[in-house]
Amino acid sequence: MRKISLEINGKKIKKEIPDHTTLSGLLRDILNLTGTHIGCDTSQCGACVVHVDGKSIKSCTALAADLDGSKITTIEGLVSNGKLHPMQEAFKKMHGLQCGFCTPGMVMSAIDLLKNKKNPSDQEIRDWLEGNICRCTGYQNIVAAVKEAASKM
Amino acid sequence: MASLVGSRVERKEDKRFLTGKGRYTADINLANQTYAIFIRSPHARAKIKKIDTSKALKSSGVVDILTGEHIAQDKIGGLIAGWAIRSEDNSEMKCPANPPLAKDNVNFVGDPIAVVFAESLDEAKTAAELVKIDYKVLKAVTNLADTMKSEAIHDGIDKNLCYDWLLGDRQKVKEAFDKADKIIKLDITNNRLIPNAMEPRACVVDYNTASEEITCYTTSQNPHLSRLIMSAFGGVAPENKLRVVAPDVGGGFGSKINLYNEEIVCSWAAKKIERPIKWIADRTESFLTDTHGRDHITHAELAVTNDGKFLGFKNETIANLGAYARVFGTVTPTY
Repeated sequence: MRKISLEINGKKIKKEIPDHTTLSGLLRDILNLTGTHIGCDTSQCGACVVHVDGKSIKSCTALAADLDGSKITTIEGLVSNGKLHPMQEAFKKMHGLQCGFCTPGMVMSAIDLLKNKKNPSDQEIRDWLEGNICRCTGYQNIVAAVKEAASKM
Repeated sequence: MASLVGSRVERKEDKRFLTGKGRYTADINLANQTYAIFIRSPHARAKIKKIDTSKALKSSGVVDILTGEHIAQDKIGGLIAGWAIRSEDNSEMKCPANPPLAKDNVNFVGDPIAVVFAESLDEAKTAAELVKIDYKVLKAVTNLADTMKSEAIHDGIDKNLCYDWLLGDRQKVKEAFDKADKIIKLDITNNRLIPNAMEPRACVVDYNTASEEITCYTTSQNPHLSRLIMSAFGGVAPENKLRVVAPDVGGGFGSKINLYNEEIVCSWAAKKIERPIKWIADRTESFLTDTHGRDHITHAELAVTNDGKFLGFKNETIANLGAYARVFGTVTPTY
């Protein structure tokens, strides 16, 4: 067991967890933040992407104990003052989702892309989202949503 | 009001999905729940000689381990082939029994044999590794083209043939081909596919010992069918004591239209162990046990005239129905 302190979606938390707890396990099973999804548990699918100190990572293969002291943002932490994040608005407007299972990881990953590149091309969006799999949309509307968000952010 | 055609209509569910407030089966937790791990066949075909759970039962956190023997004793039925197809000679299709947990034989890699329930997922996984199963490995048929020439996999099903179905008019097709200037022949392999929804299959089952009601939350595209089969054919509980709930579903592509053995087993077992049960497939289990599609070998012939008119068409298809014939699997090749 190990004691860790983290800031998650602006709230400070202290927990004692087993050493092998993954970040996704901490979020979903201990903190009940079930917006972060597990599609493969082997960092292939990207449904579990969250931000650690502003950078997107796959939470299913990160040990929570390694992240002691970090600031973590999950899909639940994007709404500010009751307003959706521009990326969330853009996915809604451009139909960038259907079943919604890949969506949290897709949105978190896309936000990180726009931090690195303000106006990415279609190809740059597709390259960046290579580690996020979606089986419903065919990606077309996801690319459209990220471009829409880029025009608003 | 403006026409809906051509206008942008936002979906009601998107705000929940975009803010992490969806409710998928794996998001559901019940007080006092146990965690299930299925023990599956590593062989494509084998006889189960012996299952030894003694060491695993003593492992930390184990609540119970149930096998095909237990489920057979309780007379719980497995998956049925629910869509009857008749052969060209009007005979009924032949389908093998598919028990929820294999008792005597396993017929595909991933066929469930036993299930461990424990206080935590880690403890269930550890105990599952301690279950010892002795197999006598048998020859499997894995090449579709050889299926009808191979030894019968299931008793009473000659040539491993479920049905030999016909659509069309043999006589008229023959006449068309006799008149043709040219016959174009084509062999097509329509490869096997795995639907691979982003959300792995899962179920969370509750049992109320006072009302005797079972509630099964599951990753289903078709909860009414699941309840019907579990009740009428599985004998898990009468329909008025069995509630099947499909919350948000993370993709299915047809694979979640079917009921699966894990749902039957967990619904039956929740009553038996008098504890709620949570089971989530890992991705490997999805690959091994979700219903697959296609896997057809087809020879097609088209009768044409020299000026390009189609006179007739015929094709002969061998379709793989898998190790068992399940739920809607029998109907697919006839569409």
